[in-house]
Amino acid sequence: MPRRPQLKPLGQPKPVHVRTDDRGDPEFVRLPGKTARKVLQIRERWRIDDEWWRRPISRAYYAIVLDDGRVLTLYHDLLEEAWYVQKE
Amino acid sequence: MSQSRTSVEHVPTHLTGKGWAQTRHPTSTSASSAFQPTSATSRSLAGSRDALCLWLPTFELRLELVRSPELDRTSVALLSEGEHAVRTVWQVSERAFEAGVRPGQRVSQAVSLCPALTLLEPDPAHYDAAMDILLETLTEVSPVLEPAGRGRVFLGMDGLDRLFGPPERQIERAFDALFGIFPSPLVAAFRAGMAPGRFGAWVAATCAGRGEPVIVSESELAVFLGRCPVRVLQVDTRMIERLERLGIDSLAQLRKLPEPALVAQFGESGRDVHAWASGRRIDPVRPWHKPRPLRASLAFSDPVGMVDTLHGALHRLVERALARPARRGRSVTGARLGAHLEGGGSWVVETTLREPTTVRERIAAPLRAKMALSPPPRAVETLFFEITDFGAPSAQKNLFDRKDAGGRASAGSGPLQGDVPPSLRDAVKELKLRLGDSPLYRVVELDPWSRIPERRHALLRFDP
Repeated sequence: MPRRPQLKPLGQPKPVHVRTDDRGDPEFVRLPGKTARKVLQIRERWRIDDEWWRRPISRAYYAIVLDDGRVLTLYHDLLEEAWYVQKE
Repeated sequence: MSQSRTSVEHVPTHLTGKGWAQTRHPTSTSASSAFQPTSATSRSLAGSRDALCLWLPTFELRLELVRSPELDRTSVALLSEGEHAVRTVWQVSERAFEAGVRPGQRVSQAVSLCPALTLLEPDPAHYDAAMDILLETLTEVSPVLEPAGRGRVFLGMDGLDRLFGPPERQIERAFDALFGIFPSPLVAAFRAGMAPGRFGAWVAATCAGRGEPVIVSESELAVFLGRCPVRVLQVDTRMIERLERLGIDSLAQLRKLPEPALVAQFGESGRDVHAWASGRRIDPVRPWHKPRPLRASLAFSDPVGMVDTLHGALHRLVERALARPARRGRSVTGARLGAHLEGGGSWVVETTLREPTTVRERIAAPLRAKMALSPPPRAVETLFFEITDFGAPSAQKNLFDRKDAGGRASAGSGPLQGDVPPSLRDAVKELKLRLGDSPLYRVVELDPWSRIPERRHALLRFDP
């Protein structure tokens, strides 16, 4: 049996499919293995730009509410042009 | 001593002849449950051998007539409770019975037979409250009480002759207590039977008349039971019908049959009925402990009819009830959802969970399903949720408690190495034995103030 790791990261981002509207805000979200859900509300948005001196990080975060009532925290990686979910 | 009379319904009552009748309702405690075979363990428990059965036939309909006396002179029928696609008649009044209305009939049939029939929606919360008052009051007479569905209760009377006198006086004392809480016509409709054991007392109550209790002594019991029809047996109606088709009408005829033959035909029930019919089996009245339900309620400012709103309210109520300190450490095995309706009346659905749980969704889902089958008939003014049955207390509630303090909250952090409670240490040891490795982790801070969320915390393997 493989030995379990000593340290496991918490809150790792997972890739997610997002369709955006004309303004670039998330409109539909499809989590891995699930059907697409409509974004009912964007509750909050903020941006993180950091570590420009080594490996730059540039993220646009969204706290959203889906049509099934779930609340997610997504971010758009502005350098990779990819979407991730960070908190379900 | 009164004789039993034949009845048209499977409730063995002469009252059906007077036009009061009811179907046995699935949501109320089954009458047969009062006579379930007792295990060897429970037989050894203390109980009262002398039993008094107080029984009010069509309890629910009579309560409605007390509430609305003007209906007493009309044809009235109470509709069935619970989740039924087709509404049927549950209990009927004397006049409705004379017009041909019978319990179990569809509403359309009943109305065509009796166009002036007044149909009443059941108000289960009202009936349960009345039953609670009845039980509370009867505890003044005897501390040994055992309810057997709404409107029927057994009282253990062992030793009460020294307090109240002979059996007649004991029954009078019970009726005096009832007169203190119910109107006289309702109390007068109660039947009282006293005999050794619950079965004898029940049969005696079915033979009793208004103000004419039936008292059967131990020496008379076998003779008394022998005269009674097999319909007094609280078993599956199909069994009764089979016995009658075989020409076995009385308990005297039944007990002449060899017990092995009855067991061969009817299984364990055959053994039970033979023991009851012969008077060999005396089931004592056992003190009943009523679990106090945990209740949460929500009053709407405007009556609500939207199912989605009721579902949302149900979820909130379940959460509130689960969060109660009195619930903590106990799982839930039974729950009830009810409502007080606009314009009076109530509505209740109950569920028994497949396995004990404290997960909101697992509790709410069966109640939502029941609500879909049997929605509240009118808009809801107040919704209430009750946890009626609890599972075993959790054995792990102190797993993360510190040895020196009251738990993580008071300590401010998780257990530290070298300061691990023995219960947690044992749990890890057992998991390692079973899995070869500890699957437990502790949350540790890496860079709690980092702007990048994934850098703030991590899980560190926990192996004390």
